[in-house]
Amino acid sequence: MNRERLETLVTRWSGGALSPDETRELDALLRENAEARRLFRRHANLDSALREWADERTANSPWQTIPAPARTPVIRRFWPLAAAAGLMLGALAWFVQSDRGTAVPQPSIAGTTESTSQGCAMLSQTLDANFTGPPLRSGDTLMPGTVRLASGLAQIEFFSGATALIEGGAQIEIVSAWEARVVSGRVRVHVPPAAKGFTLLAPGMKLEDLGTEFALNVEGQTSAVHVFEGEVIAHPSSGEQQSLTQGMSLSRNASGTTQGGATADQFLPVNELQGLVKQREAQRFSAWQDWSKQTRNDPRLIAYYTFKHWNDDRWDRLINNFTEPKRKERAGGAVGARWTQGRWPGKEALEFKRPGDRVRINLDGTYSALTLACWVKVDSVDKKYNSLLLTDGYENGEPHWQIYEDGSLMFSVMYRPADVPRAAKDNQMYYSKPVFTADSLGRWHHLAVTYDNQSGEVVQYFDGREVGREVSKLHQPGRPIVFGPCEIGNWGLPTTGHQFPIRNLNGAIDEFAIYGSVLTAAELQTIFQQGRPE
Amino acid sequence: MDSTPSSQPPPDARYESFVRQFVAREARLRAFLRTLLPAWEDVDDAVQETSIVAWRKFAEFEEGTNFLNWLLAIARFEALKARRRHARSPLVFSEEVIELLADEGADETERLEAERHALTHCLDQLGPAQRELLERSYQPGVKFHEIAAQAGRSAAGFYKVIQRLRAALLECIERRMETEGAA
Repeated sequence: MNRERLETLVTRWSGGALSPDETRELDALLRENAEARRLFRRHANLDSALREWADERTANSPWQTIPAPARTPVIRRFWPLAAAAGLMLGALAWFVQSDRGTAVPQPSIAGTTESTSQGCAMLSQTLDANFTGPPLRSGDTLMPGTVRLASGLAQIEFFSGATALIEGGAQIEIVSAWEARVVSGRVRVHVPPAAKGFTLLAPGMKLEDLGTEFALNVEGQTSAVHVFEGEVIAHPSSGEQQSLTQGMSLSRNASGTTQGGATADQFLPVNELQGLVKQREAQRFSAWQDWSKQTRNDPRLIAYYTFKHWNDDRWDRLINNFTEPKRKERAGGAVGARWTQGRWPGKEALEFKRPGDRVRINLDGTYSALTLACWVKVDSVDKKYNSLLLTDGYENGEPHWQIYEDGSLMFSVMYRPADVPRAAKDNQMYYSKPVFTADSLGRWHHLAVTYDNQSGEVVQYFDGREVGREVSKLHQPGRPIVFGPCEIGNWGLPTTGHQFPIRNLNGAIDEFAIYGSVLTAAELQTIFQQGRPE
Repeated sequence: MDSTPSSQPPPDARYESFVRQFVAREARLRAFLRTLLPAWEDVDDAVQETSIVAWRKFAEFEEGTNFLNWLLAIARFEALKARRRHARSPLVFSEEVIELLADEGADETERLEAERHALTHCLDQLGPAQRELLERSYQPGVKFHEIAAQAGRSAAGFYKVIQRLRAALLECIERRMETEGAA
């Protein structure tokens, strides 16, 4: 058997190019030789396996590798009862269920409202970034669309796993989690193995990343690419594709493609951004520390907790009160809540997760006004009431501050006249507009509320902005405000044998200030600006 | 049991059993028919015909015997039927060759499925450029000469590249199966 010839014919057969003569030749070869038939069956098997593989790979990859002809899926599902397609779908749906080992009917699409997002990337870090158009903050989810960075640095993490570092001014169009277009500017891309196939489009070429790090500089119609590590396949809009490996560069303009044209030092090293960000964080942390040292002398403060973790605290549970002069009896004790990172590296916070997690405090005194202010990172608003600061008993004059299930801030003060039965609703309640939404969860925010027992006005703030102002109908001037035993991040000291409602915060707090006066909007704006994480 | 196809839902247990077995064997059926017919379009049609006939005859199938062999016997018949329809085409194999390929091929299932399994490993051994080339070339409906034209290569040169890749893959598969068999 002439194996070489047989394989030539088989390849033409595989490509759909066998001529009538060649068909006869192959037919004769196969008839004469059992070994040829065996080899041919292996090739046919390979053929069908390759076809399935190619189909699957393309289906799973975001880029179109070919100007698609009328594609039919490889596995064209059979239809013994072609007319009764619905029946078949019913059968497959049944399989899906039974394969999961559940007999529970799947909820109908109409019956569920699962939240969805079109996001395909996240703005993970910025440094002095100025965006043209809608303002973006780090942590924002990015939808397909154009990002215009006028100045500064921005790092985008695509949901595919690819990361891009962008130097302003640049204009990037995010196409999907797997594809972006650089209209202008310098972009450095890192593609981990999981994001292999990530594609960057530039004027005159398409770059497909095979798990690597490379950078692209687009000025006008000229695109220059430089590979730092790994391999990139460059597909120029005309001409042959080229494989670029470590240290290689390629540039492309209206007149064609040339080797070289870009060098490594044109691009900002990624670790430089990390370094700059760290430096910036350290600066902000240190600026906040300076401010915090001054503010603790504010005579209006009842208590001021900065959640500093004392390494020499043997019990590890002390939450010091930092007001000056010192009022040690107002120190708090952490229960359950664990130490975690606060707004900056080096700044500690307490994390509240489990129903028992809390910080217990006891504040003496009677007041005519109050301001509560804290920095909090809420991970989820998952209970009806989510505690910020609640007094134990909720007796007359005691405030409660929490996040309501709709994401609004909720402040209330209890005043129940002696002749009113306990069941009656006599607390003054104030709600802000909802502030905790998918967009604000998982980030550090500044919350504040002020209350004056003369005017009865409650003003609520979110990141230094007013989000609610109200006077309760039940307000009567001059009723005193008291705290007594209370808790940060939870509510209630259960008495023996009693159940208690679960109201623990799901999140972290890294600064909490309680004042015996109303702070002005300007002051709260300053506090927000001094303490904002970036 | 009613053996005729019925359009009345809901699918009974027998129908489900059929669908399960058919879907599990479809890849092998497709590869089998590929040896017998000149083009993928013919294979797709024959797979469909086979499924219809098999469902119609499913009542005759004895649960517990080899479903695949039963299916391949139907497919063999369908392939010959298709061949007769295209008897005048210069691109079909002779009936004799089809019968030889089908009869011998029915016994090779286990080995060929192991080869498919080994292929996944062997594709990983290729360079990314080679993988992409194969991926483009084996898209359903694509003809090699189109890909060659896109890549700016001559068709003859392109066929040589594919031929070498295919041979390399089969060789890798063989090696892989030997080491796995020895292990």
